[in-house]
Amino acid sequence: MKGPQMNRRFTRRNWLKTSGLVGASLGAGAIGNLFAPHGIARAADYKALVCIFLYGGNDGLNTIVPTDATRYGQYSAVRKTLALPQASLIGLGTSGFGLHPALTGLAPAWQEGRLAPVFNVGPLHQPLTKAQYRAAAASSDAIPDSLFSHSDQQILWETGTSDSLTRTGWGGRATDTLATTNPVISVGGNGRFGLSSRSAPLVLPEPGSVFGAYELGTDAWRLQYAPLVARAAALRTVYAQAQDNDLADAYAAMQRDAFTMSDRLSALVKVKPGEAGSVAAIDNAFAPLISGSDVAAGLPRQLYQVAKLIAGNATVQGNRQIYFAQAGGFDTHGNQIGTDPTTGTHAALLKQVGDALGCFYSAMKALAMADAVTAFTQSDFGRTFTPNNSSGTDHAWGNQHLVIGGAVKGGLTYGTYPTLALGGPDDVGVDSWELQGRWIPTTSVDQYAATLLGWFGASDAQLDAVLPNLANFGSARRLGFL
Amino acid sequence: MSVRDAYRLTDQATFGATESLITDVRTQGASAWVAAQMALSTSRYTLGNGDAIHKNTSNTAFCDQSANAGANCWRDWYSSTPLAWDFYRNATQKNDQLRQRVAFALQQIVVVNNLEVEGTYGLRNYYNTLLDNAFGNYRQVLKKVAMSPVMGDFLNNANNDKAAPNENFARELLQLFSIGTCTLNADGSLQGGACSATYDNETVRAYAYALTGWTYPAGGATPYGCWPTGANCQYYGGDMVPVARYHDTTARTLLSGVSVPANSTAPQALELVLDSLMNHPNTAAFVGKQLIQHLVSSNPSPAYVQRVANAFTSGSYSAGGRTFGAGARGDLAATVAAVLLDVEARGDTPARRAGKLREPVLMFTGVLRALNGRSDGDALTWWWGETLRQHVFRPPSVFNFYPPDYPVPGGTLVGPQFGIHNANSALERLNFLTYLLYWGGSTAAASVPGAFGTTVTTTGFEADAADAAKLVDRMSVLATGAALPSATRTQVIQAVEAFTLANNGATWQSERVKQAAYLVFATPAFQVQR
Repeated sequence: MKGPQMNRRFTRRNWLKTSGLVGASLGAGAIGNLFAPHGIARAADYKALVCIFLYGGNDGLNTIVPTDATRYGQYSAVRKTLALPQASLIGLGTSGFGLHPALTGLAPAWQEGRLAPVFNVGPLHQPLTKAQYRAAAASSDAIPDSLFSHSDQQILWETGTSDSLTRTGWGGRATDTLATTNPVISVGGNGRFGLSSRSAPLVLPEPGSVFGAYELGTDAWRLQYAPLVARAAALRTVYAQAQDNDLADAYAAMQRDAFTMSDRLSALVKVKPGEAGSVAAIDNAFAPLISGSDVAAGLPRQLYQVAKLIAGNATVQGNRQIYFAQAGGFDTHGNQIGTDPTTGTHAALLKQVGDALGCFYSAMKALAMADAVTAFTQSDFGRTFTPNNSSGTDHAWGNQHLVIGGAVKGGLTYGTYPTLALGGPDDVGVDSWELQGRWIPTTSVDQYAATLLGWFGASDAQLDAVLPNLANFGSARRLGFL
Repeated sequence: MSVRDAYRLTDQATFGATESLITDVRTQGASAWVAAQMALSTSRYTLGNGDAIHKNTSNTAFCDQSANAGANCWRDWYSSTPLAWDFYRNATQKNDQLRQRVAFALQQIVVVNNLEVEGTYGLRNYYNTLLDNAFGNYRQVLKKVAMSPVMGDFLNNANNDKAAPNENFARELLQLFSIGTCTLNADGSLQGGACSATYDNETVRAYAYALTGWTYPAGGATPYGCWPTGANCQYYGGDMVPVARYHDTTARTLLSGVSVPANSTAPQALELVLDSLMNHPNTAAFVGKQLIQHLVSSNPSPAYVQRVANAFTSGSYSAGGRTFGAGARGDLAATVAAVLLDVEARGDTPARRAGKLREPVLMFTGVLRALNGRSDGDALTWWWGETLRQHVFRPPSVFNFYPPDYPVPGGTLVGPQFGIHNANSALERLNFLTYLLYWGGSTAAASVPGAFGTTVTTTGFEADAADAAKLVDRMSVLATGAALPSATRTQVIQAVEAFTLANNGATWQSERVKQAAYLVFATPAFQVQR
């Protein structure tokens, strides 16, 4: 078993080497031995994870709603004007739950048994009861850091820890530990999820964008004119040199990586629907979201790019790849509904997610890759059960999430739905003016991540390396949805 | 004062060095120059239209009315684009550089955005307030922020009702604008080395209740009246005003030993909220460290943070025979002077861990100013601002464009601006140089008032073009305050010499200047400010 230190070094060299950068400055060392089992695209064993982060804190209580009379009654009594009418919900078989009506894009996956909702998931250090929560000191390790804060809870979800000082994401650490060919590839910004101890996530622009530096272009006229050749050579050399400042060194390293990865990926990244190099199966699956040669902006366009990269795995390289995408705007403190509860801001946000994920799932099926690709949601936190005076909801904790893919044991729900009682066993509040229904999670991010990474190929020891608090949950390490 | 030190000060305190500015700073000395800068106030936000959008009593939507209809209605009445025009014109041309830089730092701490708040005139008021108070007192900044109807809409505190208060503004006021989520030592380090909560959720609720009962200033109108009952219509012309029926009058326990007594009015409760925040032991280091990070360095030593926090707390800072600040806790003139005149900010030999990645806005203006350029802002918003993820006035949320604690991969350093830096933006930074130097930047757009485009003028450097080493050194001093590291310098000089009269005819000198500028401004030595 390789130590974590060795794995980190290995990972970075690995993805540089496969793209041709490893040279004198990095040295050859013992890479040959370590390199052997990885680095070659093995389509038969290919797997990808796609994290979709819903920034702002998605209102999971209006994403999946209980349909049995008792719990629906509890829900509608507290949610009041925000409550989705029972008849509007997309029924999930006999599960006793229904989806928000804007999520029609996900209904086919549920019917095929490939969509799994997971209930009341959130950052935890260890299993936690309300009594333990109330008794804990402010500095107690048993309570995750800075609950209810966007930035901190994003960090806890993205890093898979309960410590807001954690620097690396669980996706990034997984690339280290599993020695994947590439770092996490992000089509949705620099989220900490993809940070490893040695590298930032590889952030790619959207289809149609040039992922490259013009002055390093390979047009014939550039390559034939000595001053331009000298410009490009100087540019590459300058970034290869040691700097007299730590941040400048980090900057130069990222620039080198950018050159290397753009050399390899720019042509693939640039392709838009219908253009040379596009994949008909993907274009057809995303057709409802394509207008002209553009996929709808936001999550649809990001997931189209991911689908293309998965189809282009021979170019992307590696048999294990973690992707990161995101949608924003979920911080619905005010006016989260429109003229009726099935319309408005939150409905529009969910429609984007459902449509994009639905098309992505269709594309993976059309590529015969559905079994190899699992997409899942993350988000800052759930939102208060009780609405505020602005027809919105405030920050809470445990939340409902969705996992979708051909390998998912869907058509079932996972985890324990919270008890919908203000001041009840799952609500952090005890004072009369502090009973908003902020649920203490009954499933941890660690367990959720371990289920995903276990399918992805991590051994138990590797899971413990990536998810330091997983051991606190005893034998309940994986949730069974994969 | 050395060239290097003078250059560093212009980097920290302005939107970019120019050859004449470096000379000015050297002549005056650091503390005199800072004092002189604080006395200047020449920049204002003036462009864009007025408050008619919130006085519309017609059932026809504002931009559908014949008087306002047109392709630019949203841009000129609702968006922050006219402010961006002012921002870049002032940053590249006006002399009150330090006031603008501090206001730019403040607007990245007390964040609002045009994604969620529309109304050009309201945004203009908000950002002019930050220019006005750049060297005032942080308490006044917080007070104006709390009473701003723009902030009121952004974080749902306008018309916030005691019946079920919205927690949004209260939470971010504590977390982002004043004290943060973890208990700090006086030097900004974490007490006990881990995050120990500064407040719990009940405390956030107490602040939310105390901050209820504010509505828009009078002046707005709609065709269907105003809602809720007793509140004013949406309007951004002035500060919010109290509306008693929505204000909670229960006694509330705040932080720092401060309580709001029962039956307090909304203005009384606000003053107590401000007392509790300004007196909190976290505030000086929390605000001071962020000002250091925005102006000087991502990773200041605890001792540096402590010295700046001391200036914040005492309201006074002395250096170079001058005293900055009026002596009240929260004085920003004292705090900013402490940030800029500290031993860790000054001198010729910054530590290896010093400095910060030049964020896109400062990279744009830095190159423009150094190369005798200017921008009317048009090209730096929806084009380059979006491309590099820093479209000024449009940060994605109240959490700004990037977080103060974003980890730089490897090691232990943070680099807030690395939060929006990645493989793609790394390449786009180079393409911005191509745009300025080889595409000629942008010409004036017909629909933009007072437009003059975005251009640089490099002819002044052509006199040195025959001597490539001299040219590269001159450019390097302008870009980094010193000659380039020798290996880099040799490489750049070689590339510059590749242009000759023989292979390029009459334009060989201008091509040499552009080659030098492209490579020097591409270096890590420029892109990371020391």
